[in-house]
Amino acid sequence: MSDIVLKEVSKSFGAVSVLDKVSMHIASGEFIVFLGPSGCGKSTLLRMIAGLEQVTSGEIYLAGERVDQLPPNERGVAMVFQNYALYPHMTVRDNMSFGLQNVRTPKDEITRRVEDAARMLEISQLLDRKPAQLSGGQRQRVAIGRAIVRNPKAFLLDEPLSNLDAGLRVRTRLELAQLHNRIKATMIFVTHDQTEAMTLATRIVVMNNKKIEQIGTPMEVYSRPATRFVAAFVGSPAMNFIPVESVTDREGRAAFSFAGQQPVATTVPFAGLPSTGLTFGIRAEAAHIDPNGSIEATVDVVERLGERTLVYTRLADGASLVAEDKGISSVQAGDTVRIALDGHAAMAFDEAGKAYHAA
Amino acid sequence: MIRNHRREVTVAYLLILPFVLTYGVLFLWPTIQMVYISFTDAPLIGPGEWIGLENYIEMFDDRRFWTAVRNTAYFVALTVVPNTLIGLAIAMMVSRLKGWQQSIILALFFLPYILPVSVVYRIWNWMFNVQFGILQYPISAIAGERINVFRTQWMFMPAVALVTIWWTCGFNILLFLAGLRSISPDIYEAAALDNANRWTIFRRITWPLIWPVTALVLTIQLILQLKIFDQVYLFVQGGRPDPSMVMVQYIYSQAFQKNQGGYAAAIAVALFVIVIAFSVLQFQVLRSRGEK
Repeated sequence: MSDIVLKEVSKSFGAVSVLDKVSMHIASGEFIVFLGPSGCGKSTLLRMIAGLEQVTSGEIYLAGERVDQLPPNERGVAMVFQNYALYPHMTVRDNMSFGLQNVRTPKDEITRRVEDAARMLEISQLLDRKPAQLSGGQRQRVAIGRAIVRNPKAFLLDEPLSNLDAGLRVRTRLELAQLHNRIKATMIFVTHDQTEAMTLATRIVVMNNKKIEQIGTPMEVYSRPATRFVAAFVGSPAMNFIPVESVTDREGRAAFSFAGQQPVATTVPFAGLPSTGLTFGIRAEAAHIDPNGSIEATVDVVERLGERTLVYTRLADGASLVAEDKGISSVQAGDTVRIALDGHAAMAFDEAGKAYHAA
Repeated sequence: MIRNHRREVTVAYLLILPFVLTYGVLFLWPTIQMVYISFTDAPLIGPGEWIGLENYIEMFDDRRFWTAVRNTAYFVALTVVPNTLIGLAIAMMVSRLKGWQQSIILALFFLPYILPVSVVYRIWNWMFNVQFGILQYPISAIAGERINVFRTQWMFMPAVALVTIWWTCGFNILLFLAGLRSISPDIYEAAALDNANRWTIFRRITWPLIWPVTALVLTIQLILQLKIFDQVYLFVQGGRPDPSMVMVQYIYSQAFQKNQGGYAAAIAVALFVIVIAFSVLQFQVLRSRGEK
């Protein structure tokens, strides 16, 4: 219906390349999040789908039709801008009607669609105000309303929550998810906030340095990151990385040794692992304070979060490791502790950053 | 913080004192004097007898005064709105350029503005010159013969208006360009996604958003052009000044050529009232339109 296909889309500004041969297929009705650090090209990619930026090479298809050479208005997409880009001199009603007026929609139909959208977004009482008289959250709704009334093939949202305060951001995030459930439109959402990506997306596109690192559901991206970059970027606290001294084969599975520590048995298949340049990766929730643990470390900082405690430690060779302890933890800074690593949740990365997961 | 209120006020008065003094000596006092003199029969220099409203009564019956009022109004009509629209149009074109190209083109448009009026007069007098002026080529192509533009009654004011627009447009372009730059590019992108064509974008986005600047430019222009003197005075040299006389020129001729200080002051008061009335009125009207 309104699927989006990108084929080897590249973009450069003069000699500076900002996107390199990006391909993906977005199914109709998906909520896709482009996630990545600033400067990774995610906003540029969104703007190219919108038609605000020319593609340097490659093809974009929207609902089966090639659109990369079409002007923005002929693509049938709607965009919500980071700073909303509302027309400051128009009332909320005019802001939402403008696009429909330009395609000569009958007046009563415009009124009906604007009022329907306003009701859905609970901004009916604001229709006669101007943007300057609205709060940030209300402006945000108007910007979304302006997109909804046009009934677009796809919604493109460029960091729409970044200008809201923390509480409002969480609430609006929930409302966006509800909105997507209700109208079932294809949405592409750009953000650098991994929490937004995890909570909203049906699939996340993790981008870094002009390329796609991984496309997957939030859980895939979290538990089976394709690359070291994804592993480090998604999840809080960030994944632990420990340099591997040597790796041994134990019945087809890898056991990793670290400087001055007992080896850690994992379920990562030994076959295919390079023998040198490996980094061991494990999330804090798979590293527990345990008197029988294989790793010995010194505690730097203890963060008590209530339901759990994060223990920031340092190994003998200087590598840092964040482990978890139960909510009521007796660990103190300066203590020497032992940490057990869950071999089922461990992974390894080669020098190029490629991940090797447990089977 | 605890502040010594009286001391702060004293300091404030001290700081504005130089301005207040200058303003009083150079503007307020001469203005009051002008109004006073307008009720006397004073010559250019020295005092005169109090004659009440006689100067004003004479003014209302003075055919040449009304000619000057009409000519000034005509000149304002020929310059204010066209100058503003041309300024906006050029600013919109210049704003499409980027980087150094924009700077160069903008500098070229601004260049005439820094010229003194005497230079402007020389340039255009040469260009319109009947014997060797370059503009005589298009003029004779259209009219079939060479025309002495500044000696042809019906062409005089439009020609001076043209020169004035060429001379002063740069400043308006600058103001409009600043106004255009303050419109967020996102808004134009949103409009492009909203199916707006270029005319719609101008009519519904650019024009309303640039309106405060337009109102300002119109008001500045109105005040400036009501006080027209130099260009008309220079271009009429060697010809008959009376038919194209403007108000400031008439004040000048009454005061400095006819030695009628009192009468000239009365005309100056009339011009003063016109300028204040029109500019306040216009600014209010324009502002309220923009707020709707």
